Amino acid sequence: MLQIEIDHLNKHYGGFHALRDVNIAIKQGSFVALVGPSGCGKSTLLRTLAGLEKTSSGDVRIAGQSVIGKPPRERDVAMVFQSYALYPHMDVEHNMNYSMRLKRRPKDEIIERTRAAAETLGLGNLLGRLPKALSGGQRQRVAMGRAIVRNPKVFLFDEPLSNLDAALRVHMRSEIRKLHERLKATSVYVTHDQVEAMTMADHVVVMRAGVVEQQASPLDLYDRPANKFVAGFIGSPAMNFLPATAASNGVVVLDSDGAQRIELKRGFNSGLKLWVGMRPEHLSWKPGSNDIAIDATVTSIESTGSMTFVLVELAGQPVVVAHSGRPETNKGDNLRLYIAAENVHIFDRDTELTL
Amino acid sequence: MKRYILLVIGLVMTAIYLFPLYWMYLTALKGSTEIFQYPPTFWPADPRWNFLEIWKSRDMGRYIWNSLLIAIGVTILVTVLGTGCAYVLSRVRNVWMEIALFAILMMQVLPSSLMVTPIFVMFNQIGLLASPRIAVILAQTAKVLPLYIVLCRATFVQVPRELEEAALVDGSSRIGAFFRIMLPLARNGILVTSVLIFLQSFGEYVYARSLIAKNELQTATVGLQTFMGPNANDWNGIMTYAAIYVTPILIVFMLLQRRIVSGLTAGALK
Repeated sequence: MLQIEIDHLNKHYGGFHALRDVNIAIKQGSFVALVGPSGCGKSTLLRTLAGLEKTSSGDVRIAGQSVIGKPPRERDVAMVFQSYALYPHMDVEHNMNYSMRLKRRPKDEIIERTRAAAETLGLGNLLGRLPKALSGGQRQRVAMGRAIVRNPKVFLFDEPLSNLDAALRVHMRSEIRKLHERLKATSVYVTHDQVEAMTMADHVVVMRAGVVEQQASPLDLYDRPANKFVAGFIGSPAMNFLPATAASNGVVVLDSDGAQRIELKRGFNSGLKLWVGMRPEHLSWKPGSNDIAIDATVTSIESTGSMTFVLVELAGQPVVVAHSGRPETNKGDNLRLYIAAENVHIFDRDTELTL
Repeated sequence: MKRYILLVIGLVMTAIYLFPLYWMYLTALKGSTEIFQYPPTFWPADPRWNFLEIWKSRDMGRYIWNSLLIAIGVTILVTVLGTGCAYVLSRVRNVWMEIALFAILMMQVLPSSLMVTPIFVMFNQIGLLASPRIAVILAQTAKVLPLYIVLCRATFVQVPRELEEAALVDGSSRIGAFFRIMLPLARNGILVTSVLIFLQSFGEYVYARSLIAKNELQTATVGLQTFMGPNANDWNGIMTYAAIYVTPILIVFMLLQRRIVSGLTAGALK
């Protein structure tokens, strides 16, 4: 069953076209991440769902009902803000049950549900504290608590972890995911961090400049990016791109160095300008059965302990190779790298679409 | 060493600044011959406590009551009219709001003495001069409202917009969010600005002098002025009157000074 349907949604700020014909369907109980670089419209889209932004055209339906023109309070959505937006003059308990007090729920129910939410989030002994007396992580939990006490149709998260330190962020990531699995409520999660999106979501929507570039499951995005932008955005370190030109019978010649040829056994129009994309972790030292061999020169080596990033020059272009463990190679060495043919991504250089 | 020099300079400047105040209290306590003595004395040789006498003979209770009435009326009117206006000006950002804000600031520039003639003519025509204290309240409200709006707006600007949005998503209406989230958070700024408005209106002179004809409806500032004449010599009485009038204001200011300073600079939140 579909919980949220976004239909040909457009949003203009004066002359600026912030959302361009956005179409997204979100299943009930799924966890969807909206991801993209800053200014791509992901927060605007989330705020549109919440009712904090007006739409210019198109339709948004929550649980089958159009919510266009409805104020936030008639949408039954809860939102966790990046800055947490806790009411500074209310203690944790009153922050959490403000929504229920507005709805004039019976007193026992308010107390009961506030307590239950506080227990879930480990805030039981902080109920009497004011937000200013809480740490960043605790504030984040209160903001979550404020959302879950309401038991809403949809949870909206606007970069909720970006103000936390790295360790806490990783911890809260799995906490939020666990919470989602228990509550089974539909969640829409905005982030600029593709790792967060990949690890938390069932469905990832990649946006750029107000346009949905691709939406798919995390692994689909990784394996089958629709275009060069998605390919470069998903995965860390980012995919290497090399300019190339198609030759006859499925051979691609890397530019700036006519000698490097990649035999793909896929047909392209001869002379077509291309981008060849190779993920750092797919380039390897050891040859496999159907691998393509490429020659390169090591320019520098960065080791993180478990992983080593070897920067090489390949056909005159800088390329990163990710290697688990410690390769026996030195600066200036000539290498022969191997990559499986199915791991080579080819994009049209004009349209940037995957071929 | 540098700190002490700065401290001394600060003390000297404060002394110069506060000297008239000191002189006022001093003169209020001196006898009439001691006032004109040369060289002057800096501590009364024979202090006289004639505060009660002046209070009674000058009918100060009535004057101060009128001043209070006008100051309270102005403060209430200004807070009720200005708070919502300040909030809107802090939230809506476009060219028209910039123009409105500029117009408001321009109104602040016009002095009372310039405005009083047209106001007098207008109030006379609509019959407002029959209730002169209300006329003064209205004129003074128009005078101080811009100041209130500009200062209050600064307070509202500091309350993060997301708090209001959180309230809206939580199920509040816009009005509800204003009263239950924005107002409590801007409370300090509103309070401090209101006190400033109150004190300013308590010392209002030009409008009261021009719009109020009957002596029994006059304010304390105008009452003080009745002492002064071409042959004024009751300096002791004048200063006693001034001391009685100013002391409550000074006490209020001292009690609230920390809040006033922080309210005007850093703002009320955090």
